[in-house]
This record gives sequence, structure tokens and C-alpha cells, in this order.
Amino acid sequence: MRSGLIGIGSLALSIGVVANAYLQKKQFYPSVVYLTKSSPSMAVLYIQAFVFVIMMWEIACKLFFGTLRAAEMEHLIERSWYALTETCLAFTVFRDDFSPRFVAMFTLLLFLKCFHWLAEDRVDYMERSPLISGLFHVRVILLLTVLGCADGYLINHAYHLTLNKGATVQLVFGFEYAILLTAIVHIFVKYILHGIDIQSENPWENKAVYLLYSELVLGFIKVVLYILFLVIMIKVHTFPLFAIRPMYLAIRTFKKALNDVILSRRAINNMNTLYPDATPEELAAGDVCIICREDMVASSKKLPCGHIFHTSCLRSWFQRQQTCPTCRLDILRPPTPSRPTPQPQPAAAADAPQPPPFFPGWQPPQQPAVSTTSPPPTMPSPPPSGAAPGAATPAFMMPPFMMPFSVPLPSPPVGFSGLSDDELRRMEGDERQAVEARIQVLRNVHTLLDAAIVQLNQYSSVAGPPTVSSSAPSSVATATVTSTQTPISSPASQAPAQSAGPASPEEGATASEPTSPDSPSSSENSEMSEIRRRRLEKFKTETEKPETTKS
Amino acid sequence: MAGSALKRLMAEYKQLTLNPPEGIVAGPVNEDNFFEWEALITGPEDTCFEGGVFPARLTFPSDYPLSPPKMKFSCDIFHPNIYADGRVCISILHAPGDDPMGYESSAERWSPVQSVEKILLSVVSMLAEPNDESAANVDAAKTWREDREKFNDIAHSTVRKSIGL
Repeated sequence: MRSGLIGIGSLALSIGVVANAYLQKKQFYPSVVYLTKSSPSMAVLYIQAFVFVIMMWEIACKLFFGTLRAAEMEHLIERSWYALTETCLAFTVFRDDFSPRFVAMFTLLLFLKCFHWLAEDRVDYMERSPLISGLFHVRVILLLTVLGCADGYLINHAYHLTLNKGATVQLVFGFEYAILLTAIVHIFVKYILHGIDIQSENPWENKAVYLLYSELVLGFIKVVLYILFLVIMIKVHTFPLFAIRPMYLAIRTFKKALNDVILSRRAINNMNTLYPDATPEELAAGDVCIICREDMVASSKKLPCGHIFHTSCLRSWFQRQQTCPTCRLDILRPPTPSRPTPQPQPAAAADAPQPPPFFPGWQPPQQPAVSTTSPPPTMPSPPPSGAAPGAATPAFMMPPFMMPFSVPLPSPPVGFSGLSDDELRRMEGDERQAVEARIQVLRNVHTLLDAAIVQLNQYSSVAGPPTVSSSAPSSVATATVTSTQTPISSPASQAPAQSAGPASPEEGATASEPTSPDSPSSSENSEMSEIRRRRLEKFKTETEKPETTKS
Repeated sequence: MAGSALKRLMAEYKQLTLNPPEGIVAGPVNEDNFFEWEALITGPEDTCFEGGVFPARLTFPSDYPLSPPKMKFSCDIFHPNIYADGRVCISILHAPGDDPMGYESSAERWSPVQSVEKILLSVVSMLAEPNDESAANVDAAKTWREDREKFNDIAHSTVRKSIGL
């Protein structure tokens, strides 16, 4: 009622203004000039234009949507605020081209954007409402066609203008309409999918997958468009601040779609490989699928815990969580221990830095041959007495000392990056299993350290006269590194290059620290050899101790 | 996914109308849209909420039952586990992964096994036995713990207000 009054009032005012001008000037052209020169009459005409826009809006809404639902209205208002602020930001970038025509273009853009949002809401509503009338379909198809044509035409317009006149504001418009066109395509795909779903009696299993993929593809196109726009805008104008928020949203949506696709693929994969199909007897016995509350018909899966679900229901649930919906059994955990382990294994092996083949006799331990879950292999036997510092052996005696290394080392304590979330979680808790897993890893660390010590002992004994100057070692690992490092590096006089060399994977962290205090600066050889001897003796006791504790 | 959400909600609605649990009425606000429900919960007997009838709004996500619905009382209710604006804070309404109070185990969280009926029954038992360890309304929790009489008085007044006295 009130809006009607405002409309009539505005119409009367503009008629008055135009009539006044015409009465004064008597002729068409002078009265137009008069109108454009007089600010009050222009203001009245602008208001009239605004009223026209609102009337158009009302008519189009009635035509395409009927009455808007409360939720749609809410979405619309929320989004238009963002769109308005962004439009104002865009105005600041293009303040030189600011003109009524420019404002009109932006109004049109906003107008069309609103319709796109409403169309999207409408199509989403399809999956919420039990009854979809024929009118609904007619409206949606009409709306999508009109919007698609409008977008196409405006893109074309902007493209030609840009070609003819160079980069102007039309660049922004062309780009915005391109984005809107992708939105239309997306809505249309959704509409078709929902339409097929409604037609069929049973829920359509693969719809979710198609939806996901369409989202992924269109999300990708959008991201590419935004990046392209950003690059072009930075080149010809300035940084398009107003495009940042939608761009961020597009990237986030794309990332989410990608993630969803990955999870979904994994879920589908699990479904197909891990769980047996439910047998007809089981189907007959179980009454309904607890997820959708529908009768058990064909294509159901049985989880290790014995609960049966529809394949499609289970798949969508597994995208969120890998537990049984009924008893919350972690389906990736105990009943299928064979599956989760092989996955992280190669990753861990790849992650572990392979020590450079620095020493002539060095053989990288055959990690893949040993599994993390197997009990730690027996300690490589402590060095033969020949390796004792007192009887430093010449280099040609090396082959015999490499013997212990042929014993495969346990795979390194997989770096936490190599562990899957699931495995980490398994190590985290304080139930028996978790504690065992932790001890297992510690044992692996221990074994590796032991092996490394033995190895280094042998290197040092092989590498010639000791030349170490340092105080008593603080820890086993640092000590091993220092003691081997110095004798090797001093003759070759390239300490920095070699400092990281002999460190086996888990010593990488400690390898760097001992270099500074231990640089081979001193020449008090006799004192050093004494220290070194004591240290090596200490190692021997250290390496023997763990064996007793372990066995 | 979507069609199944609608079907499941319709099935639950049917179930609730055929075998309504005692003291609970629930159904879609409007049969055009099954994703907005209105529920009426009567205060459990022998508690300070006895005799009250509390209206609440349930909003379902489009991927229900994979995600939990949201529940909000549309009347004033002073309770440790109900936010001042009416939102209900119980663990079965929380999807695994989000934990506003930071201590719920995943076993108490939402799973497709839950249903509208179970949610409403949990809310009834929550009315009977507030959990003041994870308070959504700290004032209410404090009053419940330290000044039970005052809590009962407030509850009685909400009961009277809820039945229009």
C-alpha cells in the first residue's frame, strides 16, 4: 500500500517536472536540455528511475518466484549487503568513469546477481519439499534461460567493448557476468540432478557423487576466472580490493569440494574393497537401514561389527566419519589391520632421509623389507673386540666390519609426517594398544640408535688415529657423531661438508649441534686419544645394556 | 542424499504421529517444508519443570541424518544446558568434531542412529537432570548448584508463563 503510494507520488512528480519543462520551452530539444541542466528535476527523475527498478524487481519476483520464502528473503538481504559494499569499493576504483550510466550498469548487475541467488535457493528447495508443482518447473526453466541469455549477452557486450575501446570498467562487468554464467550452469546441473532424483522412486545413489563432481569442476572454473581477473586488473588498473571476498569464498568452496571428492573416493574405495555385501538372509533378518530408515533391499554392505546399511547411505556417512553409525566401531582399526599399515609404510620409507652414500662401505638399510609392526630385530651384535680403540684397525680391514650392517635395520621411527591421522590417534590414547604402539616406536628408535652406534664405532676405528678434543659426551647420540666425525674430517679437512654425512636418519637433528665445540682445532693428540678411548668404551657398555633390557 | 533426507524426515514424522512418546509432540511447521519442525515438550514429572509446556524449533540440515539438527526453545527457559537465547546444548546434537565445551567423547555425539524422538527424549531428561558440568548458561548452572530454591522458583515461573498463566 505504502509502496504503491510512493510509486504514484514519484510518477506524479516526474510527470510534473517533465510537463513543467515542456511548458517552459515548448519544444522537445530545449526542454531536454533544460531538464538535464536543472538539478532538482534530475533528482526527481533519478528517484523515478529507482522506483522503476524496484517495480521491475517486484514484477520479476512475482513472475519467476511467486512469494519469496522467509529463508530466501533472509539470504537475499544478507548477500545484498555484501554485494553493495563491494560495489561501493568498486566505485572507488573506477571513480574516473563515474556516471549515471555506470551506476545503471551496476544496478543491473546487482539485480541479476539477486536473481541468481534466488534461483539457487529455489533449486536447493527442490530437495527439501515433498511436492514440486509443474509451475515450479516452468518458472525455474524460464528463469534459468532468461538469466543465462542475459549473462551471455552482457559478456558478449563487454567483450566487444573491451576489444574496441580497450580495458575499461566493462572488464569488471564481463568478468562478473562470466562468474554468474558459471553459477547458472551450476544451478542448471543441480536442477537436472534433482529433477532426475524426484522422478525416480528410490533415492538415486549416485546423485551425491555427480553433485560433488559438478561442484568441483565449476569451482575450479571459478577460481581460474578469479585469478585471471586479478592478474588482468593488476596489470591495467589497480588491485581489485572488491573482488577479494568472493575470490576467497570461491577458493574455499573449491578446496572443500576437492576435499569432499577425495574423501568420497576413499569412502567408495573402502566400500568396494573392504566390506562384504550383505547376504539375502541377512537382508531379510535386518529390518531397516538405520541411516535412511528405509527397508533393506538390494545393495547393502555389512561392516565388521555385523551392522548392515545401504551402500549409498554408508558411503555418505563415511565421507564424514569412519565409524559404524550404530556402535561407533572405528572401522579402519582393529578388524582390518592389514589395510591401514601398508599405506603409511612406503610413505615413511620415502620420508626418511637416506644418508648419502658417503662411506665406501655404506649400504642403506633395507627398510621396506622390515615392517614396523614386527618385533624389533635382534640387535646387531656389538662390535668385535678388534674394533676397540686400543687396536685401531687399518682401512683395508673394512669388509669384515661391515658384517653387522647386512642385518636389516628396522625401519626408522616413522616421522610423524609419515603417520596417518589414524595411526597417530592410535598412539595417543592410554589404552593398552596405544601404549604398545608407543613402546614399539621407542623400541625402533632404540634399535636404530644402537645400530648406528655400532656402525659409527666401526667407522671411527677404521678411519685412522683419533684426533678428538672434547669434554665428556652429554648424550649417546651426540657423542657418536662427534667421535666419528672428527677423525674423518680432519685428514680430509672438509669438516663442514661432512658434518651431516654419517648421521643416520634419526640423528639428523643432533648431528649439527656437536660440531661447534668439537672442531678439530687442538693438536693435543695423546690427551684426545685417551678421551676417545674412554668414550668408545662407554658406547660398548651402552650398546650392550639395551640388549639385556630388551630380551 | 537430499531425497533421502526428506524421506527419512517423513518417515520419522509418521513414526512420531503413530506412536507419540509420552509428553512430546513434534512435526513440521509447514508440510511444504519438512526441514523446519516445531516441538512441544512437557516438563517431566516430579521436577521443577513439571506441568510446563515448552515449545521448541528444530532446524534440519539438508544432509540430515548425517549432520544433526539444531534445536532452539522458542520460550524463555532458565536451565544450565540451554543458552540464554534458547539454543539447546546437549552432546547428541553436536556433530563429531565440534565440541563447544571441549570434553564430550565422540561416543555421545550425533550419529545417524539418533532421531528426532531420541533428541526430544534426551531433552526431557536434560530438563529433569541438568548437567552443570558443561554449562551453556553459567548463571543457571551457578544458581542450580548453589541456590536450588531460587532455581526452582525461576523454573516454576517459567512453567506458569509457558502455559499462559
